[in-house]
Amino acid sequence: MLAIARKDIRAITANLQVWLPMLIVPLILGIGLPLGLVLAFRFGGESLSLGDTQVMLGWVDKLTTGELGAVWPTLTSLNQKLIYLSTNYMLAPLFLMIPLMTASVISADSFAGEKERGTLETLLFAPVDMRSLFTGKVLASFVPAVVVSLATLLLCALSVNLAAWPLFHRIIFPRLNWLPLMLLVAPGVSLLAILINVFVSARVATFQAAYQVGGAVVLPVLILVVGQVTGVLVLSGLVVTLVGLVVAAVDVLLLWQVLRRLNRNQLFTSQVR
Amino acid sequence: MQMNRTPFLEMNHVAKGFAERPVLTDLNLSVCPGEIVGFIGPNGSGKTTTVRLLNGVIDPDAGAISVGGYDPRVDGEAVRRMAGVLTESAGLYLNLTGRQNLRFFADLYGVDEPGRADALLEEFGLADAADRKVGTYSTGMKKRLGLARALLHRPRVLFLDEPTNGLDPEGIRMVLGYIRRLNECDGTTVMICSHLLQQLEQVCHRYLFLQGGRVVEQGTLAELEARYFPTVTLEVETDLALAGDHYHGVPAARVGQGRIAFTLPSRGDVPRLLRRLAQEASVYSASPVQRDLETLYFRIRGGAADE
Repeated sequence: MLAIARKDIRAITANLQVWLPMLIVPLILGIGLPLGLVLAFRFGGESLSLGDTQVMLGWVDKLTTGELGAVWPTLTSLNQKLIYLSTNYMLAPLFLMIPLMTASVISADSFAGEKERGTLETLLFAPVDMRSLFTGKVLASFVPAVVVSLATLLLCALSVNLAAWPLFHRIIFPRLNWLPLMLLVAPGVSLLAILINVFVSARVATFQAAYQVGGAVVLPVLILVVGQVTGVLVLSGLVVTLVGLVVAAVDVLLLWQVLRRLNRNQLFTSQVR
Repeated sequence: MQMNRTPFLEMNHVAKGFAERPVLTDLNLSVCPGEIVGFIGPNGSGKTTTVRLLNGVIDPDAGAISVGGYDPRVDGEAVRRMAGVLTESAGLYLNLTGRQNLRFFADLYGVDEPGRADALLEEFGLADAADRKVGTYSTGMKKRLGLARALLHRPRVLFLDEPTNGLDPEGIRMVLGYIRRLNECDGTTVMICSHLLQQLEQVCHRYLFLQGGRVVEQGTLAELEARYFPTVTLEVETDLALAGDHYHGVPAARVGQGRIAFTLPSRGDVPRLLRRLAQEASVYSASPVQRDLETLYFRIRGGAADE
């Protein structure tokens, strides 16, 4: 099982075309963008905040409950408010997109790619039971996705707090409600993307097709979910936790379905030409 | 030759079809331990399907299969642990190096023998290319690496699908030589699917001819020859003036400038003919007409098609 996961991860790291975008996108979205936001608001908050921003801030001012309601009065300047709001609340969708994308790219390559390159046949001829094979392949997509998202968050937090330090003199990002987001929702959604890719891969011939179907059908749906989830981040960590649990439940259900149906004969007959 | 021993591979009345198209109809075969058998048949006759059934990666529709005492359908893992398979596509990871490929499969097969991968790379002339990506390998190199992969866990039975396809003459000699040595030293049972009949002749003990979803003929080369070529044809280079189509009762025919073909009932009749010929004319050379596997193949195919 671990041998398969190790091999898949090695195959990814050996292929520049696969891992470079997986590294660059998180760097830009997860570090470049937040850093840019913080610096822009720090030095030009007043000139940037036009009508709409004022409306939004006015709306937040009225929030009295929840985590934000408790912190908000301590933020005195407009720049502080903008930075606090943009980092803690607006970055969340990006941090769900990063593991989602990583998981999708790797799993499309890992499942459909194995079939396309004719190596699935060799794997099925090996004395490895189907569950280990499947679990190994899921891990090969899941572990990098989680590692990339957590590493990006770490670097993001480091750069945001450093850049915002002169204004706050304390750690402002991430708030505690990111904990269920990053440890529950993000892994859950990544696993969901992988499992959906497994189903897609079984029905297409090439990994490009898997990637395209995954990108065209799966991602928009997941983005919708992600958008909704992060909307509730404004409310409370509890709601995020609940959403995470629901995603996890869907994962378990799908996993159970896949594991129940796994059959060497059936897989070989349908997937090996 | 080893018929008294318990068969290592056995298939009885096996049938298998895909999407209503029958591939194997009534396959019966048995291979003894330590045998090298050539599995011969036209494209689509079911050679690859047979190998897959024997390894338990697909299930038969009917019939019984046994590999080393195990039923591949029930104890597939046990069968796959002792079987090495080289598929036609070799099934290697092109974006990994040769060494990484072998390491991965060694892990997968639970090979706990340090240096095994390196020894095989050396054996198949791939030591210098071990750290290059397999994508840059030539067809022959991939084939050799595929064979090395199949041998990593020292299988008791080896299934080779077109093992010499795409190899240059040195590669062919290397691979066939290794198969022969492996069989002699370790007693590995080998099943080779191939179209390259001339190469099979160099290694196989026995042949199975597959057609129409069943084994239509089998035997050693000598057995098959005796069955399909009841007479011996001797081609003689001589200045004998042949009158008619017989020479002292032996059917004879002029086949070229100064060449006559004699058809004799058996090998034992050759010396008498040559002695007589030498008395009556000059004989420059004499050789039996080659009755190789290829001729046999078309004989058997023709016979089976007539049925």
